[in-house]
Parts: sequence; C-alpha cells; structure tokens
Amino acid sequence: MKFTLKILKDFPAYLWSGWGAIASILLFIALWDMGNQIYGNLVLPSPLETFQTLIAMLGDESVIAEIKTTLYRASIGFGISLVVGTTFGLLAGFFATASMMSRPIVTILVGMPPIAWIVLAMIWFGMGDETVIFTVIVASFPIIFVGSLQGTRTLDGDLKEMARSFKLPWHMKFFDVYFPHIFSYVFPAWVSGLGMAWKIVVMAELLATSDGIGASLAVARSQLDTPTALALVVIMISSLMFVEYIILEPIKREVELWRS
Amino acid sequence: MEQEKLRATNHYLYYPDEKDIPAYLAYGFRPVFLLLAPYMIITMILWGLVWAGIINLPFMNDTLTWHVYEMIFGILTAGSLAFLTTGIPELFPGMVPFVGKRLKYIIMLWVAGRVSFWLIDYLGVYIVAALNLAMLLWLIWYAKDAVLDKLQRHASLGYALVGIFVIQTWFFASQAGLASTDGMTILKAALGAIVVLILLALRRVNMEAVNELMEDKGIDDIYLSRPPKTNLAVFAVILFTLVELLYPQNSALGWLGLATGAAILAITGDYILKDEFILNQPFVLYLASILVMLSAGYALMGWALLDDKMDSINHFRHFITSGGVGLAYLVVMIIIGWIHTGRHLTSNIYTHLMIILMIVATLMRSLIPFFEEYMSELYLWSSIVWTIPFMIYIKVFYSFLLSPRADGIKG
Repeated sequence: MKFTLKILKDFPAYLWSGWGAIASILLFIALWDMGNQIYGNLVLPSPLETFQTLIAMLGDESVIAEIKTTLYRASIGFGISLVVGTTFGLLAGFFATASMMSRPIVTILVGMPPIAWIVLAMIWFGMGDETVIFTVIVASFPIIFVGSLQGTRTLDGDLKEMARSFKLPWHMKFFDVYFPHIFSYVFPAWVSGLGMAWKIVVMAELLATSDGIGASLAVARSQLDTPTALALVVIMISSLMFVEYIILEPIKREVELWRS
Repeated sequence: MEQEKLRATNHYLYYPDEKDIPAYLAYGFRPVFLLLAPYMIITMILWGLVWAGIINLPFMNDTLTWHVYEMIFGILTAGSLAFLTTGIPELFPGMVPFVGKRLKYIIMLWVAGRVSFWLIDYLGVYIVAALNLAMLLWLIWYAKDAVLDKLQRHASLGYALVGIFVIQTWFFASQAGLASTDGMTILKAALGAIVVLILLALRRVNMEAVNELMEDKGIDDIYLSRPPKTNLAVFAVILFTLVELLYPQNSALGWLGLATGAAILAITGDYILKDEFILNQPFVLYLASILVMLSAGYALMGWALLDDKMDSINHFRHFITSGGVGLAYLVVMIIIGWIHTGRHLTSNIYTHLMIILMIVATLMRSLIPFFEEYMSELYLWSSIVWTIPFMIYIKVFYSFLLSPRADGIKG
C-alpha cells in the first residue's frame, strides 16, 4: 500500500521528466519529415499526414476491433509466458542441475527465428488465434525464463545466511531479502518480453491471420497505402511506449531504488 | 554578519584601489540597471505608439526591422555588460572587478550606441554599426578569460557572444547593402543565438540563485542544473534557427519548433529535487517562467507552421522576445539587485507584480492572432503593461543601486 502511494506520489515528477524524451522523439519526427520531402509521399508519407490518417482510423470502429483482436492475442500470449516463464525460471534457478540443463534448451528457443515458429505453428494450428498466440509465447517465454532464472540463481548466499541467523520470519525473509533482488531481475525481463510479444504478434498476424493489426498492415501493403501502414506502426509503437513508460517504468524505478 | 559576507563576495579581495568611486559605478551592474530600466520604459512606450499608428518614426523606411534590431542587440549589450562584469569576477576569483572610471567609459560607449541608433536617419548606418559593434567587441574582449580558461567551464558563453557578433556584423552589412540577405531573416537568427546565450547563462544563474535561496531558507537539498538538458535545448534551438534561416516555411521546421519547446521545458525538470519541494519558492517560479515562456514560443511557432498559420508565427515569437528574453533580463536584474547589493534574495508583492505583469503583457502581445479585432489596442497596451515592471524596478531597486552594499563590503 505504502509502495503504491509512493509510486503515485512520484508519478507527476516522473511524467514531467519525460519532456526531454518527447523532445528527442519530435526531433526524430522532424527527420522523418525531411525524409518525406526527399523521397516523396508514396515512399514515406509526411508525419502530419500519418497522424491525420491515424486520427481518422481511431474514429473508425472496424479499426478499433482490429486493435482489440491484436491486443487480445498479445496479452494472452504474453500472460501465459509471464506466468509459466516466471514460475519455471524461478524454480530452475534454485537448482544448479536444472539451470545447467535448461540453458542449452533456452539457447535453442532463442536462436530459432520466430518466422520459423510461425511456419510450424501454421502447420500445427492452421490460420487463427492459436498460431499467433503460440508464436508470441515461444518468442517471449525464453526471455522471461532466463531473467527469472538469473534472479534466483544470483541470490546472495551471505544474505541468506544473515536472514537465517537473525531468525527473520518468513514474510520478512521474502519481502525484504529475496523479493527486491529477484524482482530487479524478473521485472526487466518482463519488460523485454512484453516488447518482444508486441513485435511478434504483428508479424504473426501479417502472415497467419485475416484480422488484427498485422493483417491490416498486409492489406495496406497490397494497396500501397503507406499512410495507413505507418499509422498502424504508430499505434503499435505508441501503445508499447504507453505500457512501458507510463505503467512499467515508474514501478521499476521504485523497485530498484535500493540499488543506488 | 559572517553569514552575510558569504554571498557574492569572491571579488572582494581583488577590488581595485581607485579612490572615490561613486556608488553607481561601484560594480558593473549598477550603472547598467540604472540606465536600462528607464530606457526600456521610454523606448517600449515609443514602439507601442508606433505600432498602434499614433506616431511615425522613419528608421531608413524600415521601422519594423530596426525595432527588432534595438530590442535584440541594444538591450542585449547592456544585459551582457551587467552580467559579465558582475559574474566573471565572482566565477574567476582573482580577476579585478571592472569598476569606476573604466566602467564609466564603457557605459558611455553603450549610451553613444543608443543615441546613434535613434538618430540613424541623420548619422547613417556606418556610424551606428561602428559604435554598436565596438560595444559587443569590447564585451567579447572582456569575456576572453572565460573563453581561454583551461577548464573551459564557462567558455560557451564566450563562443555564443562571438556568434552574436558575427550575426550583428552580417546584419549591418545587409543594411548597408553589402550583403543580400534580408535584415529580418538575420535578426531571427540573432534571436536564436540570444536564446542560446540565455539558456547558457540561465544555467549558471539557476545554480547560484536556487542554491542560495535554499541555503537562506534552510532547505536541506541540492539543486543541480544538469548540462545535458541545457545542451539538448541549445542543440534544438540552434537546429531550429538554422533551418528557419535556410528554409523558413518548411514543415520539418514545425516539428523542430515543437521539439525545441519540449527540450526547453525539460530543463524545468531540474527544479524537482530528490527530497525537498521547492516549486513553492517564488524565485524558482520566476526562473521557471523564463523557460516556460521560451518553450511556449517555440512550441506555438511549430504549431503555427504545421497548421499553415504563417501570419501567427511572428506574434508567437513574442513569447520568446517579450516573454522569455524580457523575463530573463528582469529576473536577473532582480536577483543581482538583491544579492550583489549585499542583501538577501527577497520576494515580495513588488517582485511578484513585476513577473506577473510581464507575463500578462507577453500574453497580450503574443496571442493577438486569437483576438485580431483588438489588434491595435493590444499592440499599445501590451507595450505599456510590459513597461510597468521596470517602473516598479526603479521604485524598489534604485535606492539600492545608488547606495553602497548593505553588508558594508566594496562593490
């Protein structure tokens, strides 16, 4: 409770510190505008046109439905990875044998190109939700698994010793000794896993489904409708940035305060 | 008493031996502020009358360009004179403060520059150019120690001044027919250079003033004005200025304007300290208002460019000139007026009024595009309201400027 209040109290200051980031994004948009002037509207529509398209799209109910479909797939896939990856990762970290054994398997999972997974999933599940969700899971699971594994693997033995010799009650042992350490590994892994899920969902949809943002992107491509394609990209990027910087980053900052 | 002597006294040990220095020449800022406040009042009312169409000044048949020239360079040289002669001996202990007779001659050079400016129709552009460029050249020469300093701590100020000198020379060349660029275009570039100078100077003023204030009030925290934030803002301003110089109507300039606005606003993030809350301190708000005004100017210009409202751009630019730059001068005049006359940094109803009135005047002037039916009234009244802070300044600070330091030390 105290923790949540602290996050809320620091939130306005955190939000205000974002002006520098907004400035650099706007500088990047200026560069994009230059690209538009050099290469023309077909290759790279102007940022203004893209944003106007975006606003028009957000007023369109069918587009909102596509966004919801994509969000649903991404969150189911990411949610499963999060629960399964974290649980197994944390457990594996406690046992040296399990960590040793799981490492090469994770390397295989990470090393396998997501596009190959999509092909396999299309064969296994056909064209639909399952294919996309499966691809999201296999792409984000290893990242979360490895992060969680590192979290328990690197627990400081001396601290464990100390907690034992002071006879700390189990809840103090967990919340004050283990949790901050583990969380500082797990949380960044969740953030990268989420980023991965967000990217993979669009790619899987583009290849394997007829609805969702990815499918809309495929339609925009076939019609050479670059403003719509870019507007879709903007939707994906801004929703990811919203989740990452407005929701997750403030939590991460509070959690990692102990490091400094 | 010991505590009193700590503030702004680095120059003390090296104060020159000159006999009988009158109080108004005892330190660089004194004569400048004594002259600048009435000069602002008189000339701004004159300009207001000109823009409202009540009086007519010829100025080589280009009143607008010369109005901008004077508001930019005429005032800048005075402001820099006060800032540098007051600041450098404090920043570089060991440097002999610039006071007395020598100060008087330089002040006379500035006054000559102003007189020549108002008589330009009789004297011709070359005399005005010579006097005004000489003034700026002297300032650069005076700031040379800062530029040549081994650690380069404050060198950027010197480089900015050199840039402004080049731009001013270019301007006079164009007015004398030696360069083909339109005068107003050059003045816009000059404004960009001045905003850079102000951002650089403000970082130093912020550090000194805010920490001083916190020490005074017993607020136990430290304020750091972080160079990367200022540098990002400076970079954005330079980029905006260059692109505006080369492609004034380009849509990328619109995004650059928005970016510059955000980058300048980012500097205010430094006022949010780790432990203590200082945004309720009036001087912090005064200083922040400078940044907010500059930021609003660039952001609104950017918006106008993107929204194809070209006519509004120069109105919005007054957020930068009347607002940001004007407040920068005013706030520095107030801060130096207290601290360097041996007093505590104090805020009262007068200082509040000065800042608020200047912001009100800026809003009246800059938001004309939204109230076009009152255009000529707003031109006139915004100028008048803008001068009131300087009238209050005369009332509050003239006695300080004309008498020795309250803590009894020299300077």
